[in-house]
Amino acid sequence: MLSFVGRSIIQKIITLFFVSIVSFLIIHLAPGEPSQVDPLNPKFTPEMVERFRKEFHLDKPLYLQYVYFYRDLFTGKTVSWKDNQSVLRKIWERFLNSLPLFIVGTIITWTLSFPIGIRAAIFRGGFYDRSTTFFSYLLISIPGFFFAYILIIFVVTRFHVPVIGMETFGLGDASWLRLIMDRVWHLLLPSVLGATGGIAILSRYVRSQMLEVEGQDYVRTARAKGLPEEQVYYKHALRNALLPFVTMFGLILPGLIGGSVIIESIFSWPGMGRMAYEAILARDYPIILTVNFVSAVLVLAGTFVSDLLYLVVDPRIRL
Amino acid sequence: MTIRRVLILAPTVLILFLVQSYFWVPTYEQQTRGNPDRLNEYIAASIGDASILNPILSADSASSDINSMVFEGLIDRDEELRFRGRLATSWDIYEEAFFYVNEDANIPGKGRAGVEEVATLLKRAKAGDFEAAPEVKASLDNIREISVVPARDFLVTRREKENEDTETAEIKIRVSAPARIKLVLNNVDQDLFQNLSRVLGKDYFSSFNGQHYITLDDETWQSKRAVYAEEILPATEHNPTVVFYLRPGVKFHDGHLFDASDVKFTFEAIMNPKNLSPRISDYEPVKRVEVVDSLTVRIIYKRLYSPALGTWAMGMLPEHLLNDEALRKEAIHLGKDPEKFSMRQSSFSRHPIGCGPFVFREWKSDQYIVLDHFDKYWEGSPNYNRYIYRIVPDLLTQEMEFYAGTIDSYSVQPHQVKRLRDNPEYQNFSGLSFGYTYIGYNMRREPFNDSRVRRALSMAIDVDKIIDYVLYSQGERITGPFVKQTDYYDKSIKPAPYDPQAALRLLEEAGWRRNKEGWLEKDGKRFQFTLITNSGNDLRKAVLAIAQDAWKQIGIDVRTDLLEWSVFIQERVDKADFDALILGWVMGIEPDLYQIWHSSQTHPYQLNFVGFKNSEADDLIIKIRQEYDHERQVVYSHRLHEIIAREQPYTFLYVAKWTAVLDRRIVIKETDRQGNAVYKKIKPTKTGNFTFYFNKWVKLPETPTFSQEG
Repeated sequence: MLSFVGRSIIQKIITLFFVSIVSFLIIHLAPGEPSQVDPLNPKFTPEMVERFRKEFHLDKPLYLQYVYFYRDLFTGKTVSWKDNQSVLRKIWERFLNSLPLFIVGTIITWTLSFPIGIRAAIFRGGFYDRSTTFFSYLLISIPGFFFAYILIIFVVTRFHVPVIGMETFGLGDASWLRLIMDRVWHLLLPSVLGATGGIAILSRYVRSQMLEVEGQDYVRTARAKGLPEEQVYYKHALRNALLPFVTMFGLILPGLIGGSVIIESIFSWPGMGRMAYEAILARDYPIILTVNFVSAVLVLAGTFVSDLLYLVVDPRIRL
Repeated sequence: MTIRRVLILAPTVLILFLVQSYFWVPTYEQQTRGNPDRLNEYIAASIGDASILNPILSADSASSDINSMVFEGLIDRDEELRFRGRLATSWDIYEEAFFYVNEDANIPGKGRAGVEEVATLLKRAKAGDFEAAPEVKASLDNIREISVVPARDFLVTRREKENEDTETAEIKIRVSAPARIKLVLNNVDQDLFQNLSRVLGKDYFSSFNGQHYITLDDETWQSKRAVYAEEILPATEHNPTVVFYLRPGVKFHDGHLFDASDVKFTFEAIMNPKNLSPRISDYEPVKRVEVVDSLTVRIIYKRLYSPALGTWAMGMLPEHLLNDEALRKEAIHLGKDPEKFSMRQSSFSRHPIGCGPFVFREWKSDQYIVLDHFDKYWEGSPNYNRYIYRIVPDLLTQEMEFYAGTIDSYSVQPHQVKRLRDNPEYQNFSGLSFGYTYIGYNMRREPFNDSRVRRALSMAIDVDKIIDYVLYSQGERITGPFVKQTDYYDKSIKPAPYDPQAALRLLEEAGWRRNKEGWLEKDGKRFQFTLITNSGNDLRKAVLAIAQDAWKQIGIDVRTDLLEWSVFIQERVDKADFDALILGWVMGIEPDLYQIWHSSQTHPYQLNFVGFKNSEADDLIIKIRQEYDHERQVVYSHRLHEIIAREQPYTFLYVAKWTAVLDRRIVIKETDRQGNAVYKKIKPTKTGNFTFYFNKWVKLPETPTFSQEG
């Protein structure tokens, strides 16, 4: 066990190192200049381009830039080129904004998928099963931005309440309960939209897992014992069908920093995804690389956690 | 069965909890009509957030929007685009001109002359003791003062590097400058020396050799002698000078008085390389800024540069908050190295303090920026209590918020114009933008080096159709490189007509004939080229297809390509590696076209990437740049416009029209002599700017009716 942990940590550090090199290279070799450098502006003389490149260390060889960047990152000194704010602080602020969306979205996904999927498995082939299949595919294939627009127009014209932003604009000094509920309301639409795809996919997984477990010997044994149908499904089958999902929990970790560009832009949500997207457009390398690095760390940590979870939930696995 | 119950109960409770929050949210009605404060605030929306709230550092439009509210410049432009005083009440422009006495030159009818003799000669010529052409006489009359600057010796040091690897050498140059004549002129006169040479002899100025008066200590650098002589002892020198008289009693938002040292400080901050100001090139021609007294500043320029006056519309910074001492204190407080700490790092850029009509209050990144009105604003506090800048990145949600009344104005997209213009609930404004779209031809390449071919290509495209169908009629034709609303643009010049047959005739003149398959051919070679533009711009993409089709109609084999913006710029535009391209320019009001049209700017990475070279145009571009008189600038610009329209280095396509809608309840409120409020309709200025009188706007509870609409 301990040796597994040690080995895997070393492996992950090596992977991380390569990820850092590759992502650094991709971003620096891609064409384009930081948006501060504007070659098509007549007022922008070559001397100024040079000065900006120097300020951003872009005149140095790539390996030096790499060293400078990661040195600054680990000492917490990286600043965004756009506004000279500390990158880590910016990411932290945005992370806090995206976090509620992520949490509510995940809870909606997981709590809704299970009942839907299980019921579909129990009544497989029936009307309910077929209609959930239909809706799942519908939700998977409908473009997120389109669905978002439809929902916004519907809610705004029908109920005349604001939906965009993190809170009602200009709410001012209302009671704290009201402020909280206002925030909850603004979470509702974007997180439901963020969850639709997840529900559609996850409920399909649940259904197929349940069906697979259905055919197992122990389920037949449970039935043969004369247990009530409900108990067979919810106690014997479900428990075993759950196994793969426990490990999926580890894998949703990277979603913490991903955010959703489209949903966040449409809903004017000042989140992570929007910031990273704008940074890419403006070639704000410090932000792009830091977000990239943090998400690589989270992906690796996620796989590590899911490995450990396997160990905990499935006693047959020994590492 | 508990598990089953939990499985069903959990999502139900969750959804119920989320949905019940609906009952806590105020409706739009409560936010707008039900909220009396709403009438006192103006809410604007923007797609992007500001980045840096310091007028000398910002480069994006969102930051400029806020900076123009918080900061104020010395001057700005009024409704008719003339300059008007803001922080400066008035200003004078005059010139100090210098020339070195050329003792080797022969003055007609006089021979060689020393400094005193030249001075008296000029004085006498000025007094009328000389038969002179009218333009020479005008130049002489313009001279206010003639004086002598005695000869002097001084030492100059220059740093030079032989190549990248060697160390910089310090070169000492000893200069014994000859005496100089100083002329003070009433008005800036770019033809002064040309006219004086009619008095002093044709090559009096050009034959002056500064090399005689300098000695270099280091022998290895002798080769640079001529360059140094030119730099240190230029034969003639124009020093246009602007004196600004500042408005007394203007205060910054923190109560500190604004004075001349703030102007000087703002200039120095821009020029300080540590600050990396993107405006540095505007101020590079400034020789020095002198504080005459606390309310007078004198700005002396190194050379003639007429766009200079307009640069003083730049917002003025408060010296007391940003000088070295203040920055050092902030750096130490933040635990950073004071040596490396510059204005860019300062927290001032997130909490700006200026002397504009609005005081900065709050900024939440990617959400909103709030400004309060400044009660002590010199022109009277704005009517609105608050200005709010909301960041709403999506246009559709911006539109929804506008209908709901939580945003006060909305920039209409071309396809919505028809629908929203006639809506009685809103007042609408529209105007031409300052930018135009064009097809540029690489004039270094065959067959684009022939102006007939370029003209024919222009004539084969039906631009009116493009405007009608691609832009939904929200555009106008343009024929030249100036902003269409200004006087510099010559409205009498007609665009090339749409006439494919005439185009074919022109091409035939140039030697292109249709072959059996219908393709145009010359010397057995087919007329074939590639038209490129950047991806991500749907308008340009549509123009690309239309142009391709139009040219195919007359037998030209056109390939097209869409490239990602940075590849497009770096690989194609910067290296001038293209046949023809579609691109746009955003223009300033100033008619200075040097970077885009002068023949010296045709090298890689420069902006005259089409390679337009025309000596008369070059001459006009320089003259426009050096001319301080508006009327004469207009004459030169019209001539330049004509040349460019004739040569057709670009097919000038269109300028887009913008439309904005505003709540009808917003009007201008003024007070008449008796102190009664008078309400007026909002009227746009010459350039279409409807926010010009923003400080006087108010929002009324009900839609007003005006006795005379007009």
